[in-house]
Amino acid sequence: MLARHAEDMFWAGRYLERAEDTARMVRATLLSTVAESPAQAIDRMQNLIRTLRLEVPTPTEDVETMAEQLAPSPPMLRSESGLGIDVQVAATRLVASPALAGSVAFCIGRTRENFRSLRDQIPSELWEQINEFHLRLRQDDFPAAMEHDPFQTLDFIRVSCQSLTGVISSSMAQGEGYRFLVLGQMLERALMTCRLVSVRYPELDGSSYDEMALTLRSVSALEAYQRASQSSPLGCDVARFLMVDGSFPRSVLYCLRSSENHVEALAANGRPPPLRRLAQLRSELEYADFDTMVGDLPRHLSALESGVRDVANLVGNHFFRNAESFDLHSQAIMPGVSS
Amino acid sequence: MSGPPPGFFDEAVDEHGQTRDHYRPVQEWFDRLTLEQVKGLEEQRNESFRRQGITFTVYGGDEGTERTWPMDLFPRIIDAEEWSMLERGLIQRVTALNRFLDDIYAGEQAILHDGIVPRRLITSCTGFEREAMNVAVPLGARCLVAGIDLVRDADGAYRVLEDNLRNPSGISYVIENRAAMTKLLPAAFSDLAVRSVDHYGRSLLRALRSIAPPACGDDPTVVVLTPGIFNSAYFEHAFLARSMGAELVEGRDLVVDDHMVAMRTTRGLERVDVIYRRIDDDFLDPVVFNPSSTLGVPGLMAAARAGTVSVANSVGNGVGDDKAVYAYVPDMIRYYLGEETIIPNADTYLLWEEDQRAEVLKRLDQLVVKPVAESGGYGIVIGPRATDAELAEARDKIIADPRNWIAQEVVNLSRLPAWSGDGFAPRHIDLRPFVLSGEQVEVIPGGLTRVALREGSLIVNSSQGGGSKDTWVLGNSDQLDQAAAS
Repeated sequence: MLARHAEDMFWAGRYLERAEDTARMVRATLLSTVAESPAQAIDRMQNLIRTLRLEVPTPTEDVETMAEQLAPSPPMLRSESGLGIDVQVAATRLVASPALAGSVAFCIGRTRENFRSLRDQIPSELWEQINEFHLRLRQDDFPAAMEHDPFQTLDFIRVSCQSLTGVISSSMAQGEGYRFLVLGQMLERALMTCRLVSVRYPELDGSSYDEMALTLRSVSALEAYQRASQSSPLGCDVARFLMVDGSFPRSVLYCLRSSENHVEALAANGRPPPLRRLAQLRSELEYADFDTMVGDLPRHLSALESGVRDVANLVGNHFFRNAESFDLHSQAIMPGVSS
Repeated sequence: MSGPPPGFFDEAVDEHGQTRDHYRPVQEWFDRLTLEQVKGLEEQRNESFRRQGITFTVYGGDEGTERTWPMDLFPRIIDAEEWSMLERGLIQRVTALNRFLDDIYAGEQAILHDGIVPRRLITSCTGFEREAMNVAVPLGARCLVAGIDLVRDADGAYRVLEDNLRNPSGISYVIENRAAMTKLLPAAFSDLAVRSVDHYGRSLLRALRSIAPPACGDDPTVVVLTPGIFNSAYFEHAFLARSMGAELVEGRDLVVDDHMVAMRTTRGLERVDVIYRRIDDDFLDPVVFNPSSTLGVPGLMAAARAGTVSVANSVGNGVGDDKAVYAYVPDMIRYYLGEETIIPNADTYLLWEEDQRAEVLKRLDQLVVKPVAESGGYGIVIGPRATDAELAEARDKIIADPRNWIAQEVVNLSRLPAWSGDGFAPRHIDLRPFVLSGEQVEVIPGGLTRVALREGSLIVNSSQGGGSKDTWVLGNSDQLDQAAAS
């Protein structure tokens, strides 16, 4: 497929994933602030913004000032929905402000833009779905809806993202384009989970159930975790689950494995740089002694994160900006012989 | 009901005020709808176009430049006999134009030697590209896609208003209009054997493959070349690529190396054999045309000349749809085919002919004046509606550069009911059928009917407040019987 189309697919996948993950994290955070003191709630929101900020490709001033503005305004007022107003304004911006790079509305806008230049490549159903979703997020009353009923709105976003993923897996031919799209999703998801663990890990030390529930809920992992481990959760168990569980589709290991499969298929028997790096990263994580690793988790997490970024760059260099020159004459075809 | 006012031909109503036979079932069907039902259908249609992102871009506005496509619910209907005449006329015209262009660019220029078309008319034409001289096109299919604009005069006779042989657009809307109508008004189709337009992608692909360079074997790679997502017709470019299963490429995706064209893929470069380009000549290849173009592909013309790639529509077709050359199409038909023209031209005056010019300048306020090389309705002065200042300006321009202008008698476009917000009222329409040239010349049944939605307006361009209508070509009575039996 065209290199430019492949790149657009990859980015559509990344933006779509980021939108969904952001909505999940905002939802989990809001949920946990409901019963908290204003100061705690603001703290939590700042924590979330920090997690997300690091995920914005070009960190904007906008996010910086947003975190600062949040700080100094207690006593906090409570809105109709029972949430702190400052917290709610921040959440609304993270979701509904298209001008804020990294917000859900922004990411869905970018997803649509990428799909728009791929309209000849993707099923019409997928285009209609993303178009409708995008238009809803840009309607004038959407920020108000987010303020009045944040949980329902966030559920709507999650369900919309999931139905997009459903259309992708049920009506798109699983060729190259599909693989680049899913690769983008998986790498983005791996990064988001890494960030979540590194921001949340200090909070997990105290082993409070609420903190752990928030962390797991942020990636919709609470139920899966509870089934996998019936012992009462410990901070390091939660981190272990999110990083190296082999079957939970949002664990870092799962995302790396899936990415590796896709790159391997895309490389068609070769061993290009992105595949080497990915295999190395995955086996390091898979075969590491987690108990040793947990002693120095921040360092491991940041190495893992930069490893994933490396992979994304290598994918770009190898597949999208492929500079190899081919002998076109060797591709000239004789009459009657098809390639 | 009273008869139509004199001066206009009504498509659906005869001179006694009776609904014409081929419109009767549809008219009756619409008569049964209540105001609320029509409004409901209008809403459904807007919602569906908006959701599907069926839009066109209006340049020059600030935001919201993507507008949903305006389609009127009342269809235009052409009966089998009428269509068979139009089909023959269109095939005849496009066949002659292909022969003419091939004669000029790759042949002996016999038509010029024989004095049928004046040589200076060709050499002074802005659409004549010297860079295209002696670039062969397989099968001589130079107008691979042609859009011929037809109108009906006060007597109901069809006339050709202009030829579009460069990058005619609109076919995607023909197909989307039909798809929308079958969903919105399935019942209105009953008992009418409306001919399908759905196969266009297949037919286009077949035509494009038929002009592939002979050396590329029996499985040529076809691509659609677009200026990108900001072009007003991007929706159509993507639509065509999708319906052909071809890659939609931009200039930056293509490279020319040693006279071969290739696209950049995830696995390196891959040969391209046929390019259906939707970029104007001027922007196609910065080496030989506009050097500042970033939309095109450097070296493309050299590759086309070497015969390693075929480009459709052919470069230089502007010489065939120049509005002064248009006046000679009936002569071309006689010269190349030995036939008389089936669909006549609108009455046209060539302003570089001294006596015609003098006549036109006397009657400027009764005529339509058009620049010869423009399309999309730009630069047209409609005499009866122009101010004195506009007329004076037109007069000066004609005197300064008579080769650049033609004048035509005002054609009173025919009328058909269209929704005006609170009822159906007569509005003026034209018709752009699409003609494909490959192994043979083929006409897609119907075409794009454009309608001037403002009362009394004769301007049908979508950029200037025009809308569209689904166009139904009825099958002949055998097909009708078959449809009824099935």
